[in-house]
Amino acid sequence: MYDAPLRKTDVEANEIKISAKDVQVYYGENHAIKDVSVELQDKTVTAFIGPSGCGKSTFLRCLNRMNDTIDICRVEGLISLDGEDIYDKRVDPVQLRAKVGMVFQKPNPFPKSIYDNVAYGPRIHGLAKTKADLDEIVEKALRRGAIWNEVKDRLHAPGTGLSGGQQQRLCIARAVATEPEVLLMDEPCSALDPIATAQVEELIDELRTNYSVVIVTHSMQQAARVSQKTAFFHLGHLVEYGETSQIFTNPVDSRTESYITGRIG
Amino acid sequence: MTDATSQGAARPRTSLTAADKRTQRRNAAEKRFRLYGLAAIGAGMFFLVVLLSSIIGNGIGAFQQTFIEVPVYLDPAKLDKNGNRDPAEMAKVSTFGYNPLIQDSLYQLVQDKGIATEYEDGGDMKALISASAAAQLRDRVLANPDLVGETVEFEILAASRVDGYLKDRVTRDSITEDKNIDAGHLDLVDALLEDGTVHKSFNLAFITGSDASESRPEQAGLGVSMLGSLFMMLVVLFLALPIGVAASIYLEEFAPQNKFTDFIEVNISNLAAVPSIVFGILGLAAFIQFAHLPQSAPLVGGLTLTLMTLPTIVISTRASLKAVPPSIRDAALGVGASKMQSVFHHVLPLAMPGILTGTIIGLAQALGETAPLLLIGMVGYIATNYPDGIISGFMSPNSAMPAQIYEWAKRADPAYYERAWGGIIILLVFLLVMNVIAIVLRRKFERRW
Repeated sequence: MYDAPLRKTDVEANEIKISAKDVQVYYGENHAIKDVSVELQDKTVTAFIGPSGCGKSTFLRCLNRMNDTIDICRVEGLISLDGEDIYDKRVDPVQLRAKVGMVFQKPNPFPKSIYDNVAYGPRIHGLAKTKADLDEIVEKALRRGAIWNEVKDRLHAPGTGLSGGQQQRLCIARAVATEPEVLLMDEPCSALDPIATAQVEELIDELRTNYSVVIVTHSMQQAARVSQKTAFFHLGHLVEYGETSQIFTNPVDSRTESYITGRIG
Repeated sequence: MTDATSQGAARPRTSLTAADKRTQRRNAAEKRFRLYGLAAIGAGMFFLVVLLSSIIGNGIGAFQQTFIEVPVYLDPAKLDKNGNRDPAEMAKVSTFGYNPLIQDSLYQLVQDKGIATEYEDGGDMKALISASAAAQLRDRVLANPDLVGETVEFEILAASRVDGYLKDRVTRDSITEDKNIDAGHLDLVDALLEDGTVHKSFNLAFITGSDASESRPEQAGLGVSMLGSLFMMLVVLFLALPIGVAASIYLEEFAPQNKFTDFIEVNISNLAAVPSIVFGILGLAAFIQFAHLPQSAPLVGGLTLTLMTLPTIVISTRASLKAVPPSIRDAALGVGASKMQSVFHHVLPLAMPGILTGTIIGLAQALGETAPLLLIGMVGYIATNYPDGIISGFMSPNSAMPAQIYEWAKRADPAYYERAWGGIIILLVFLLVMNVIAIVLRRKFERRW
C-alpha cells in the first residue's frame, strides 16, 4: 500500500527530549485533548497523524506554548523539555520558543527581505555580535533550509516574492536560524506542490541529525516517509504511539488500522 | 444512467441563442439595477459640481482686491515736526495725522489728471479709501523714517463699496440709500479705472492677513486664524496620535477579552458618534472652568478637539491592526519574539498605512470643526494680532479657520459674505492637501504579505 520504504532506524538509543503526562487541553468548555501522555525522543522525527479536528495541531502548539495567545485555551497536566516543566510559572514562553521553533501550515514570511526574515530571530536573541557573524548565521540557516542556492543572489529581495515552496523553506531556515533544539512543524507541506513537498521532506530528514522534529501531517505517506516515530490521535485521545514501521504495518489498536486503511477519518 | 435521462426530460429543450422568459426577467432586473447605480452616481456628481462651482463662483472674488495707486507726499511738517527722524517721536502722530495726507494726495491726483469732479477737497473723497489705509501708510513710514519728505507711490486699499462696485456687488441703484458713498464717487472710480489708477489685483492679505473690524471688510484676512488652526492641529497631532495608537495597541493586542474591555470598546464606538458640541462643553468645563486655562486659546481648542478625534483614531487604528494577518504574529512568536517585539517589529509597520490615513482623516475632521470652538470662545474673537511666539501661539486668544468663516458669515456687510466663501475655498484646499497626503502615505507604506 505504501510505496515509500519504511525506515527501520534504531531510535531507542536516543534520549527523551519532550515528555508529556496526562495533558488535558480545554477551549472554553470544549475538552480538546484528553489524557495525552507521550515521550518524544531527541534527534528523531515524530509524526502526528489523525483525522481533522483530532487535536494533533492543538497538542503541537502546547509544546511551545503557542496556545498561550488564545485567551480561552487552558492546559493541564505536565509537559517537560529536558526534564523542566514548560508550564512552570517561572518559565518565560519567549525563552521557550527560542528553544522550540515552529514552522506553520501556511508559509508566513515577514514582508521584509529574505535576509531580514532569517536574521530577525538571531537579532532579537543577540546571537550575532557583528555583521559578519550575522551574515554567516543567515547563510548557514539558508543552506540548512536548502534554499541558499536559489536566493543567494537576491538576499535583499522581499521574502514574499518567492514561490510557495521557497517561502516555506525560507520559513524553515528562519526557524533554524535561532538554533532551536526542537522544531515543530504544523502541516508544513499542505500548501505545497509535490516537488516542493519532496524538497521539504528531504530537508526534514537532514534536520533530524541536529534537532528533534515533530511534524503534524494529513498525509500518511508523508508520515511514513519522513518519521521514525508516529503518534495517532483520534477525537482528542492519543490512540497509539510507536515505531512508524510498526504503526503502518502492524497497528495494535483497531482504530489506527481503520484510519491508515482509510475507513475512518 | 436511465434515471438521469428520465429526470432530464422533465426540463423542456430550449435553444441557447434565444433567452427564455426567466433569463430575460433576470437580465432586465440586472440592467435596472445598473441604471439605478449610474443615476445615483450621476446625482452625486451633479451636486458636487453645483457645490464646487457655487463655492468657487462666490468665493473667488475674495482673492482679488481693489487698490488705488496714489503718489503720497509725506509732509515733514506734519509727520516729523522736530525733523530728527526719530521713530519714537514720529509714533506720536496717529493715523489721524496720515488721513489728510492720503486724501489730499488723491485729490491732487484727480486734479492733475484733469478729471472733472464736483468734490472740492480730499475730505470729500475719503469714501473711496479704506479706513485702514492710514494705518498701513503709518506702519510703512515708521518702519522706514527716511521716507519722510519724499513722495511715495502707495497702493491704497480701496473702500469695500468701491471694491464691491468693481465686482458688481454694488451698483448705482443699490447706493441710493447708502450714506457711505455717492454716485459722484462712482463716476470718479469709473474715470480712475480707465487709466489704471484704480485696479484689481491679487489679494495676498486675504490669505496672510488678520481679521478686521465689522466696518472694514476690505482689510480682513484669514492668516491669523490659520495660525490658530495650525497650533490647534499641532496639539491634536501630538496628543491624539500617541494616546490613540497606544490605547488601540493595548486594547487590540494585549488586553484580555472580558466584560471590562467590552465595555470600553462599546464606549469608544459611542464616543465617535457623540455630537461635537458635547465635546465643546466638556472642554469648557474641564479645561477653562476647572483647569483655568486661558479662554479662546488654541491650546484649549486643541485639547478639546483631541477629545473629539481620539475615538476616530482609536477605531481606525484598531481596524488596521485587526487587518494584519495573525500568521505574521504567529511567525514572530514562533521565532521567539516577545509579544511586544511582534507588535512593534511586525504588526505595527504593517498597520501603519491604515493608522496614518485614520489620523489624517481625524485631523481633517478636527480642522473643519466649528461647534466645540463656539463654547471655548474661539468663535467671535477678532483675531487681529499675530501671536508673537510659539508659546503665545498656543496660549494667547485666537480664532480658527472655520470659526473665522462662521464669524464672517454672521456679519452684516455683503463684502464679508464674499470673504466667508473665500475662506471656505482655503479650508477646502487644506482638506484636499491633507487627503492627498493621506493617500500618498498609504501608497508609500503599503506592503503586501
